[in-house]
Amino acid sequence: MPYLPTSQAFLEQSAQLLEAYPDTTRITTKYSFPTETPGARAKRAKSQAKKTASSESPSTQAAPTPSAPVAALTLKTYNPTTGIVLQYRTNKIAEVSRLITGLGKLASGADVASLGLSAPGQAAGDVEMIDAPVEESAAAAAPAQAGKSQAQGQGQGQGGKGKKKGGKGKR
Amino acid sequence: MAPHLSNDEFFSSLTDLLSKTSQKARGSVFLSQKPLIDSVSNSPPSILIRATDGNTNAPNPKASSKDGKVTKNKTSKDKVKFATVVNADDLETFYTRYADVCKSGMTGMKKRDRSKRKAKGKAGAAKATKA
Repeated sequence: MPYLPTSQAFLEQSAQLLEAYPDTTRITTKYSFPTETPGARAKRAKSQAKKTASSESPSTQAAPTPSAPVAALTLKTYNPTTGIVLQYRTNKIAEVSRLITGLGKLASGADVASLGLSAPGQAAGDVEMIDAPVEESAAAAAPAQAGKSQAQGQGQGQGGKGKKKGGKGKR
Repeated sequence: MAPHLSNDEFFSSLTDLLSKTSQKARGSVFLSQKPLIDSVSNSPPSILIRATDGNTNAPNPKASSKDGKVTKNKTSKDKVKFATVVNADDLETFYTRYADVCKSGMTGMKKRDRSKRKAKGKAGAAKATKA
């Protein structure tokens, strides 16, 4: 079952699924800690200790409760009659409130358009062909997300290249 | 099945359940939502919200197999399970509060870490120049 790459894609496709099968589709949210064997726990504690040791001096704040595993939130939209499952998983607390608000919009019957998303070229209502839209939206969403984090890096990268070339005297 | 809680009771139970789970740093909380659709009226449906800790009250099959075997089932804990129904009109206010409760209760998740992100951004830029 696919994990969707972005929360947007998840909400979008869930909206479509709910639209298509409003009476049988349900949304589950799972907040869970990973199950760990004692060995795995020790291992993680060790690696975490190492990490904090290597990156120590600049960050004065200690690692938040080094012994605690990181919980995750998994959202799942399931339609039992068609067997369609859409999933999204995150471990960032910053996303939680946005996701829940999104679920609220879904609950009140918001359609794709009113979620404020626009995925061009996404066939609305064509929920059955779940694979195609997944890839499509993945392709569409990935640059959008990557753009945010890379915009800075790319800009600087290009600047750097230009300087290098100049330094070589290729002018 | 226990009767549905009022929305307020639901929130207090949920806060409790989330904080307990986060404190133990193990286990799960399952939340589900689905519309209660009656075919008679055409008004927007109420939403049924359920919460549970995913335990079961059913006897552990391992426990009843053999006496000689080591059983993992020490004490069968009671399953935590509660639900509420939200009217279509109250959805927005309910979900605003729901989001708040979840955000403050799910303390086991990764916090927003600005300093780390900054460092990462710098590293990314350095890589870009190299490539």
